[in-house]
Amino acid sequence: MLSVSGVVKRYAQPEGEVTVLAGVDLSIASGEAVALLGESGSGKSTLLHLAAGLDTPDAGIIQVGGQALAAMDDRALAALRRGTVSLVFQQFHLIGTLSVADNIRFQAALCGRLDAAFEAELIDRLGLATQLDKYPHQLSGGQQQRVAIARALLHRPALVLADEPTGNLDERSSGAVMALFRDLVKAAGSALLMVTHSRDMADYLDRRLWLREGRLHHEPG
Amino acid sequence: MNRAEPERLGGVIRALLSHYWRHPWQAVFLLAGLVAGVALWSAVQIINSHARASYAEADFVLGAQASHWIRSRSGAGVAQADYIALRRAGFRQVFPVVQARVSTADNAPLAIIATDLLALPAGMAGEGGDAFDNASLDWQAFVQPPYQAWFPAAVASELGIAEGEQLALHDGRRLPPAVIAAREQQGRQIFMDVGAALSLLGRDRFTALAVGPASPDDVARLAAALPADLMLDANQQRLDLTQLTASLHTQLTAMSLLSFAVGLFIVFNAVRFSLWYRRPTLRTLRLVGVSVRALALAIVAETLAWSVLGSALGLLAGLGISHALLPSVSASLQNLYGAVVGADLLLDPVTIAIAWGMTLVGLAFALAWPLLLQLRGPVLPGGSASAGVMAEARARRVLLVGAGALALAAAGVYWQMGTVIEGFVLLGLVLFAAAWALPQALASAHRLLGRALAGAPLVQRWIVSDGWAQLPALRTAMMALLLALTANLGVETLVGSFRTALAGWLDQRIGADIYVNSAQLDTRRFVADPVNADWLATAHARTGVTIRWQGRPTKVYGLDITTPDTRALPLAQAEPDALARWAGGDRRILANEQAHYLGGLRLGQTVTLPTDGGATDYTVAGFFHDYGNPYFQFYLPREEVARRWRDVQSTGLALWLKPGEDNETAEAALVAAGAQPGEWFAQGDIKRLSMKIFDRTFAMTAAMNTLTLLVAGAALLTALLAILHERLPEFAQWRALGVTRRELLRVIAVPLALFVTLTWLAAIPLGALLSWLLIHDLNVMSFGWSMPMLWSPQPALKLGLLSAGIVVLVLMIVLSQLTRKLPQAMAQLGSAQ
Ligand SMILES: Nc1ncnc2c1ncn2[C@@H]1O[C@H](COP(=O)(O)OP(=O)(O)OP(=O)(O)O)[C@@H](O)[C@H]1O
Ligand SMILES: [Mg+2]
Repeated sequence: MLSVSGVVKRYAQPEGEVTVLAGVDLSIASGEAVALLGESGSGKSTLLHLAAGLDTPDAGIIQVGGQALAAMDDRALAALRRGTVSLVFQQFHLIGTLSVADNIRFQAALCGRLDAAFEAELIDRLGLATQLDKYPHQLSGGQQQRVAIARALLHRPALVLADEPTGNLDERSSGAVMALFRDLVKAAGSALLMVTHSRDMADYLDRRLWLREGRLHHEPG
Repeated sequence: MNRAEPERLGGVIRALLSHYWRHPWQAVFLLAGLVAGVALWSAVQIINSHARASYAEADFVLGAQASHWIRSRSGAGVAQADYIALRRAGFRQVFPVVQARVSTADNAPLAIIATDLLALPAGMAGEGGDAFDNASLDWQAFVQPPYQAWFPAAVASELGIAEGEQLALHDGRRLPPAVIAAREQQGRQIFMDVGAALSLLGRDRFTALAVGPASPDDVARLAAALPADLMLDANQQRLDLTQLTASLHTQLTAMSLLSFAVGLFIVFNAVRFSLWYRRPTLRTLRLVGVSVRALALAIVAETLAWSVLGSALGLLAGLGISHALLPSVSASLQNLYGAVVGADLLLDPVTIAIAWGMTLVGLAFALAWPLLLQLRGPVLPGGSASAGVMAEARARRVLLVGAGALALAAAGVYWQMGTVIEGFVLLGLVLFAAAWALPQALASAHRLLGRALAGAPLVQRWIVSDGWAQLPALRTAMMALLLALTANLGVETLVGSFRTALAGWLDQRIGADIYVNSAQLDTRRFVADPVNADWLATAHARTGVTIRWQGRPTKVYGLDITTPDTRALPLAQAEPDALARWAGGDRRILANEQAHYLGGLRLGQTVTLPTDGGATDYTVAGFFHDYGNPYFQFYLPREEVARRWRDVQSTGLALWLKPGEDNETAEAALVAAGAQPGEWFAQGDIKRLSMKIFDRTFAMTAAMNTLTLLVAGAALLTALLAILHERLPEFAQWRALGVTRRELLRVIAVPLALFVTLTWLAAIPLGALLSWLLIHDLNVMSFGWSMPMLWSPQPALKLGLLSAGIVVLVLMIVLSQLTRKLPQAMAQLGSAQ
């Protein structure tokens, strides 16, 4: 589903150029859930951004569903993100002027893939049934994050990229949301690449990778 | 305060101001708002105080402000011998004046005024008076052939005349070599020595003699010394310019205050966002132990700094704007009141102090007050997004309640409004009531639209619903836009109605083919001369006297009841023999509207006029329009005027040509009878000239309006850029969800277009209300003129297009910013801010 090979990313920093990713190779199959671990500043978010086409690598090839991102223009990238790749961040940026129900449907509406049955399942399992007519500012942080998860999954994207999706929540609710998240990603049939700091959370997933000194490792350092 | 404090204060100030380094456009807009407001306001102040200073000096204007005039009874002018005899008899305050109108080669009318500078009484010119500064004057060249013609700089540049050139006239004669001089009291007249004027015009008589300051004794002796064919008139034209022009200055001030208010809207806008950005900084500073007192001092210092910078730059810009606007204001003043305003503009300390004070008060409200309020609150924020939404709704409601209060106050003022200033207070109340009600109106309309779209596709609903996110930021800009649009519409309707009324009035009143106003022509002889019978159908020789009525110089005209223009009067059409009875002495009188609205005269009332035979009563039988006249005026039959007053002057001659005759025949006859070219106008020329004067008179209004609209456009730009900066992470996130750039632009543009359209729609009835008040109340109170209000959709459409243009321009700027900043924001998505 996602294939990354030889990806290099450098940033200009005050002290000179820093190579954050120094040749990363990664491959995720359809429906596979992979955890991405690593110290702060190791480049996890950078890799996710590159995979979503939000930023471009200095070298290497990134393919999603067999298509190279480098060959896509702005419009094609937008189409990719609207239908194929879903992002879940720590900041969930719900649309404040739309109701919870509309927020959940938002991305599916954009790509024209509404699915009433799956929507009902997501709402039910995420416990949002009583919140549908509310507006985001009337929800707690955890509730908002669950709306963001529903939004990211309703249209069954082929790939979900998640960057510390529960980083804002306390440990207990975070664990519960995490488990739910993994199950729902499975239910949607999506592949998952998730950044996390927590070993416990990583254990929920199929595979774990560590990012260290710009490269991916299969073992913690 | 201990010794470490000042150092710490510097650090605090630096920390507070660092914000502007990172967001320089906020500083730019804050400053732009201050500068725009101060500049427009101060420009008008500078012009106003300058004009008032000029009025004071106008007392020294030669001739026009003389205490008395000596004229010939026949209208043929004053012989040089009579003048010399008077001077010899010791009347040193008497000086000669020659006035004439000539036409340039391109038929542009030109006024010439001449006197004998050496004969001017002390205090009117020369020593002490700045009217003619001796340093620049070459006496020899001025009084000897080829003489000099002094052109005011503005006139010279209009005619394209350079120093030393000799302007060619219509008939081939040439004026003396030009000297370009910005001599204030000269107005738009060409000034030269009396000898030069006489030889240029081929005359041997002065137009009149003017009498400088004279004691009542002197006046009595002078009257006794005059030969029989000369008469001494008190100079009734001497006006209290300050009083007459007060209304116009009030109008200008009101407009400038509106601009200042609109400028303040920008400041509020800019400050609102800088406050929002700086909240965390303030919090951090307090958390690290900076005292509230040090922070308060830093805030006060910042406010002071902005006020000094803003008012200084604003005053400089104001000086520039006033230079640009002065020509049109002096045109208004001269056209309406004959007041002459000079060209040197100066900033006086009072204007500087007021500008700084207003800026400071505005900033205290916009910047210092909210920052200080924040200081008093708890260190850690308690606010949530939901509190923000509620606060916004509350702010709208508070504004709406305030709008209601203003509207009530406006109604109160309306029922007992008596002065022009009260009238403008009313307009201000109406405008601000509307502006304050606008946010709630926009919110309600937006809610209705949301409901109407309930069944629409989600993406469409999303685009429209984003208005809720924009409204808080756009609110202030929309209020500024409403003010600007309403003012524009109101004034445009006023000017348009006035223009139409004036054109219609000119068509009706200027019915004759040629109007003659000649000092040389013996009117009666000319009309009676059988050689003219071939081409002359009818002539109307009006007579007139100037009296004082209600403390103002007032003209009483004597009309010939047989002429077409008199027969067209409504009085004549009411009853078949009304005119005959009128001429027979039925003691009825017609008065101009000014006497009605400003003089308080009513139909059927008795008006008592001072005549040579004592006070005489007349019954007011009607009113006539008299646009552009600052004086009261009455019409009586010519016979009646001759019965009541001895020193009746000829006040012009209107000529109707026989069918098929052209103006040239008449002009040749006029020249043959002694009139000079330039002393008559063809019908079309008068109309054209009047409309030109009208347009010049209102050029200032148009300029102020355009500037106000530009200021509102700037407010819109600040608001949108602020929205962009505040919401950039959100926009980036949406892009990450697969929203295309076009959809994003639509999210920004559609609600904006919606709000601007709603604001524009609201401005249309408001503008009509404003123009209704301007036409029916303000204008009548200011000038004593009434006219039918003429509403046309054209100004509204024009402003709609202009607003659309501004929106498109602003969106293009925003789009370029978005294109520049979005990739960065997308790359940083998800990272903690
Ligand atoms: N736009 C940028 N410009 C310059 N340097 C950047 C930029 N974005 C990231 N970096 C640098 O790249 C490195 C990796 O950043 P990244 O955000 O990918 O780390 P991370 O692994 O996600 O860390 P964390 O766990 O703290 O989120 C950091 O050293 C960061 O300073
Ligand atoms: Mg990260």
